Amino acid sequence: MISCTEFIPAYSEFFRYLEERGGRDEVVRFWEYLSDNFLHNLRDLVTEHGLRGCWTYWSHTLNEEAAGFTMTLDEDAGEFSIVMHDCPSKGLLLGLEQMAPYHDYCGHCDVLYRRVLEPLGFECIADLSACDEARCSFVVRPLDR
Amino acid sequence: MPVMQREASDNEYLHRDFHGALSSALIYLEERFGPDAVREYLREFARAYYAPLREELAARGLPAVADRLRRVYEAEGGEVRLELSDDELLVEVAACPAVAHMRANDYAVSPMWHETIRTVNEAICEGSPWRFELLEYRDATGASRGRFSRAEEGAR
Repeated sequence: MISCTEFIPAYSEFFRYLEERGGRDEVVRFWEYLSDNFLHNLRDLVTEHGLRGCWTYWSHTLNEEAAGFTMTLDEDAGEFSIVMHDCPSKGLLLGLEQMAPYHDYCGHCDVLYRRVLEPLGFECIADLSACDEARCSFVVRPLDR
Repeated sequence: MPVMQREASDNEYLHRDFHGALSSALIYLEERFGPDAVREYLREFARAYYAPLREELAARGLPAVADRLRRVYEAEGGEVRLELSDDELLVEVAACPAVAHMRANDYAVSPMWHETIRTVNEAICEGSPWRFELLEYRDATGASRGRFSRAEEGAR
């Protein structure tokens, strides 16, 4: 069994393998497939609860992933944000000596979540400029605010 | 205004939903490129990621693999029965915790999930005096029996 604690390297190597088989488009096609077929929980929560659904979803996942983060829900201002100051996934990959992270590993987050949230009426602003230091941010706002 | 702030050390790292994501990846790969691609990917992953374990296997033999299995199943809350001798390691899992989590949460389980045992363990053994056989696997629960044993000279 591949432990769930070993999943992130398997995920990163999966992206690398797909790119070798079908190029960058194949990697993005998989991210879209995963968003459509795996993120029902996020989709259902945001459909029912709006921005608060984001809070509920990431409260669960980020704690189980042992992330270092600050998450804020400002319903009056219409904004949900995650400031990731210690991404466990990218941090783990950067610490491995036996393999290098897929070159656009962090790109999957933006594609996966944007594809769920935009059709539900939200805009997503991802800042991945510091992802090589395991830091990033993600902001979600209603389009009609 | 709700604000949640956490340090990485505040929580244990154990996100079982990742099993569902890996299963989805295997399903996608099989549908797009066929079953051989699933095995090829898992082999390449295992050879790269478990390189330190493969070195340890070469240096101190099957106890290295047994130690990893104990760690993995303890972390996942599963039970594994190990029978270790000088020439053999028998591994028996009554119910795979990954499959149990996926079934309980309605995640699709890849029809090739057993390859995360067979192909991965075969790849870990590659280039060593050891080999792995998956003796039994049950799709419904992920229950399995496997054996690490000495490879014949010609099969190394």
